[in-house]
Amino acid sequence: MVMPVSEISSYIIHTQEEEIKRIALELHEGVGQNLYSLFTGLQFIEGGIENPVMKSALKDMTAVLAKTIQEVRLLSVELHPPALSAFGLFAATKSYIKLYTNTFGIEVELITIGKERLVSEKENIVLFRVFQEALANIAKHADTSCATVTFRWEETFLAIEIADEGVGFDSNEENSRNNLGLAVMKERMHLAGGTFTIQSQREQGTYIKLTLPLR
Amino acid sequence: MRNLRNFQPAADACAKLRIEIGSDFAGLAIQNENTPDVSWHQAAGNRNDKYKKINVRFGKGIAGRVISTGRPMSVVHFPNDILGKALDYPIMLAENLQSAYAVPLVFNQVQRGVLLVGNRQEHIFTEEAKEAVARTAAELQELIDRFYRGEADGEA
Repeated sequence: MVMPVSEISSYIIHTQEEEIKRIALELHEGVGQNLYSLFTGLQFIEGGIENPVMKSALKDMTAVLAKTIQEVRLLSVELHPPALSAFGLFAATKSYIKLYTNTFGIEVELITIGKERLVSEKENIVLFRVFQEALANIAKHADTSCATVTFRWEETFLAIEIADEGVGFDSNEENSRNNLGLAVMKERMHLAGGTFTIQSQREQGTYIKLTLPLR
Repeated sequence: MRNLRNFQPAADACAKLRIEIGSDFAGLAIQNENTPDVSWHQAAGNRNDKYKKINVRFGKGIAGRVISTGRPMSVVHFPNDILGKALDYPIMLAENLQSAYAVPLVFNQVQRGVLLVGNRQEHIFTEEAKEAVARTAAELQELIDRFYRGEADGEA
């Protein structure tokens, strides 16, 4: 039996995403929880120690553990945002934008038009990953301080527009690294049954539109 | 640690260092008071104000890494030859820097800050330039220490 390449690609991506989600959950619920138990245990012991040198050493250890817990939590969120499964695409996008502005100093205006509709988890993750990649490209290449993301909830489809007024690029010019990234975004949308379009010109910014049919 | 955005002596020290070594950018980052994250408090030669909103995770990027290791760090040709991903270096992306040299600032024997100089082209910082950065870092440590103890002028 020969399966179409698109189905195989789709299956590989889906399996990878499931594995990423499992690792993220394991980090958050398993490793993170165990570290937190150790943290509270150390705090309890610290309260019962009178030797100032030992107390200070234990306090330093507790502080390192607190940092580690935060690192594990952030790594887990980075791998797979919990808001995506719990509250859906728009909430996850909103939460990611906050983190993005805090990380890169780029303000992102988020606009939503229409009533939010149900999108399957599999499609949610595709849209979220392509959206993440588009914002990462703005941070890496656009040289701008602001961007706009618009969600358009229509009867039959969802469109997400990501626009910036940065330096833009000539889409006809060869730039293998950039082109590969864009090709991957396009392919992911295509495999999910959606579309990916991009418009850009030097000094004119970049406009990306993702569309996905809603069932 | 408290906000140093309005602390003029720190701004002056960054501006002076930038001119002295002829770099495009000089910036001061300090670890936050309640979280291990690191924020940029001062910048000279900046092209925008993005640095004011950037919060770097402890151990990430050039500032986070210098604070976590307590050792100087150089980047010669960003985004090539770096540890991790380009996205882990937000100040390099925000200011379009291709090279940088950063040293830790130590307060009460704990590294809590970073002084960074950078250029918008590929560049290797000379030993002379590195010594100038180390001198300014020592000067800033003293100034900031006095500021926190309430002995220097400035707004907390």
